[in-house]
Amino acid sequence: MTIDTLAFALAGILMLGGALSVVFTKDVMRMAIGLGVFLLGVAGMFLYYGHAFLATAQVFVYVGGVLVLMLFAVMVVHRSQGGRPLMEVRHDIGAGAIATGVAAMFVLSLRASVGGWLPEGGVAGTSVAEELLGNSIVVFELAGGLLLIGLVAVLVIVGSGERR
Amino acid sequence: MMPLIVCAGVFGLGLYVVLTRREFIAILAGAELMLGAANVQLVAFGSYAGAPGAGIQALALMVLVVAAAEAAIGLAIVVTLSRRSGRSRTDDLQEVNG
Repeated sequence: MTIDTLAFALAGILMLGGALSVVFTKDVMRMAIGLGVFLLGVAGMFLYYGHAFLATAQVFVYVGGVLVLMLFAVMVVHRSQGGRPLMEVRHDIGAGAIATGVAAMFVLSLRASVGGWLPEGGVAGTSVAEELLGNSIVVFELAGGLLLIGLVAVLVIVGSGERR
Repeated sequence: MMPLIVCAGVFGLGLYVVLTRREFIAILAGAELMLGAANVQLVAFGSYAGAPGAGIQALALMVLVVAAAEAAIGLAIVVTLSRRSGRSRTDDLQEVNG
């Protein structure tokens, strides 16, 4: 077993473990922690493919930004449900069947497109700044505009709640 | 093949969370699971197809930006609804039915 395989396995375990804890825990705070583990696993997967910049952005934006935002929202919003069952078993089974079917459909339809069992080890990416400010400048500007619109939308939404 | 299996599994788990949970924040977390899995899959396919590393990273960064904006707006809606009605579950709120 090579270091590459171990790195991939570690990132995959973090992703799946975090996702499983989001699914199975009933406590919203623990669910947020599980989501953080999943996001770190995603960053590890980016690192595995050699995209260090993307992994850094993932940690900064998601683990440092969105996850903290989510934890604050949990603290503001969440109230204990007193052990109330989350869902009827019948609905649970149906949702599980749909989710398994969609995942299996992805694997079956895309398995011919991914080559070998494990991916090739990644090489370090070239300058992302050149790409973002060169070929992808329009998309980059659009992303900036989208974030600005998102910021204004958040202020409008929260402000409308304040006025009421 | 392994990245595809991992990402499809995580996407399925996220879909399961969205379909079964009633808390707004849990549904948002499920959406984040699906977006993260899709982003990793995008990077994996890009690497396999031999696309330039910077191009893949730029595209994945855009997905990341859109996902972050979605999470911020979703959480703002959740907090506003919670402050207005004091509730945080989807089946407690009927006023957005139309």
